[in-house]
This record gives sequence, C-alpha cells and structure tokens, in this order.
Amino acid sequence: MKVRDVVLIGILSASITAGKLALSFIPNVEIVTLLFMAYTAVFGYRKILLVSLIFTTTEIFIYGFATWLLGYYILWPLLILITEAMGKRFKSEYIYAAIGAVFGYAFGLFFAVVESFFYGIAYGWVYWVRGLLFDLIHGTSNFIIILLLFNPLKNLLGKLKRNYYTI
Amino acid sequence: MNRKIIAILIVLALAVAGTFGYKKFIVPKGVEGEKEVTIQVINSNENVDESFTYNTDHEYLIELLEEKQEELGVSFQEYDFGKMVTGMMDYVVDEGNNEYFHIYVNGEDATTGPGEIPLNDKDTYTFELKTY
Repeated sequence: MKVRDVVLIGILSASITAGKLALSFIPNVEIVTLLFMAYTAVFGYRKILLVSLIFTTTEIFIYGFATWLLGYYILWPLLILITEAMGKRFKSEYIYAAIGAVFGYAFGLFFAVVESFFYGIAYGWVYWVRGLLFDLIHGTSNFIIILLLFNPLKNLLGKLKRNYYTI
Repeated sequence: MNRKIIAILIVLALAVAGTFGYKKFIVPKGVEGEKEVTIQVINSNENVDESFTYNTDHEYLIELLEEKQEELGVSFQEYDFGKMVTGMMDYVVDEGNNEYFHIYVNGEDATTGPGEIPLNDKDTYTFELKTY
C-alpha cells in the first residue's frame, strides 16, 4: 500500500465519522450511506472496505463497545460490496438511491437479528418493531439524499481524484 | 415535472402510507377507562416474588411504571427505540452478567416493549430477572 493510499483512507474515514456526527441530531437521517457508496464508486471497494473498518472502530472509541457495533462490521462492508457489484452493471443514480433506500428500510431488521443472538428473539422482535418508524425515515431519507447528491458528489470526487490522487 | 421530484414524491407518499399502516395495524391500541391490573416482580437473586394490584386509567404499561416508579423501584434506560426497564424493586440488572428483566403478559412472552404494551383489565404483567 502506498503512502497516498494510507492518507486517502484516513481522510475518507475521518470524513465519514464527521458526516455522521454532523447529522447525529436528526434521528436516522445520515450521509454515511451516501459517502460509502460514492467513495466505493470512485475509489473502488478494496480501499473503502478498509475505510469501513476504521469508521466502525472509531465508533467504538466514541460510543464504547456495544453489540450493535458488531453489526457495523458486517453491514457497511456489505453495502460496499453491493455498491461495487451494482456499479459495474448500472450507472443510474436511481439504482444507487434504491439500494440506499432498501439498506435503510432493512437496517433495523438486520440489527434485530444480530441483537437476537445476544438477548433472545423476544428482544430482537421488540427492537425491530419499535424501530420500524425510524427505518422508514432512514430508508426514505437515504433515497432522497442519494438521488440528489450521489452524482454531484461522485463527479466532484472524480475530479479531486484526477487532480490530487492520480498524479 | 422533473423525474427526480416525481420519484421523491412517490417515496414520500409511500413513507406516509407506511407510517399510517404502522400506527393503524402494528402499534397495539391502548384501552381507555379504569382497569385493575397486577404487576408481578420475580427476582430469584434477591428471593423476590411480589405482586402489586393497581386500579389505573393509564393505557400503556410504561405510564403505570412511571407513575409507580418509586413504589416498584423501577429504573429505565433510554434507547433510540424507546425506554427499557433495567431495574425492578431497586434491583438494577447487571449487564456484565447478561441479566435483563423479561416481561410476560398473562404468562406469555411480551412481543413489544413496555411503551407499546396496552393495559387491559385483569391482566398480569410479570417482570422476571433472567439471563441471556
């Protein structure tokens, strides 16, 4: 790995953590999904998988260890791999917005399954049902944010990559 | 009209419909009026097995627990999905030992948290200390 890759991965990880914290006052409206998808589309999945590892580990430093963070180690890499796979076939921002929406709608369900392993099925069920409205906000806001910002962000990152990364 | 605006409006309309459906079909409905309910606390660590009967107008279990918080020694923890009971009779669960209070409604596992459990006349709500 080159020094510029180490720097890039550090900057991208920091930007995702900052992006999450900046919107943390609005429940379940976030730009983490958008950033992971745009970064994957521009820089490729290998580097962004490392970014997701750093991002999740940073979350542990900020919030302390919790079982839901284990899900992060699975969920964000999964999103990155899906984005990479879909990105090769589709270029439309509608597809990315749809992936982000499904990701948001299923977010609580995924964590409910993870939590069930630790606290039992009853807890997982409660967790999911009580979070359904939050999932609805999450998926819907993901769709809107990605639909509006994915292409502009991807184009901007592509320009920055050409000017500063691919020298 | 711009295609993106149409797509956003469709998704927003679906979200509104989903919210309506959630409130109409998934959230259990509270029952108005006075009812007599029993709260049972079982904690084998402390040899506690006590029952309390209340007459209440509250519609959901959480409201009764909040009103009787001192008498029942209830402690709560706020999560992003709502309040969970973390202590009863002044005993707070030891998360390090994987303890939690399991809720039963008339002996059946509760499928929602106390904020969504409606109070019904003559029902018994049991809080039993368990480990996972």
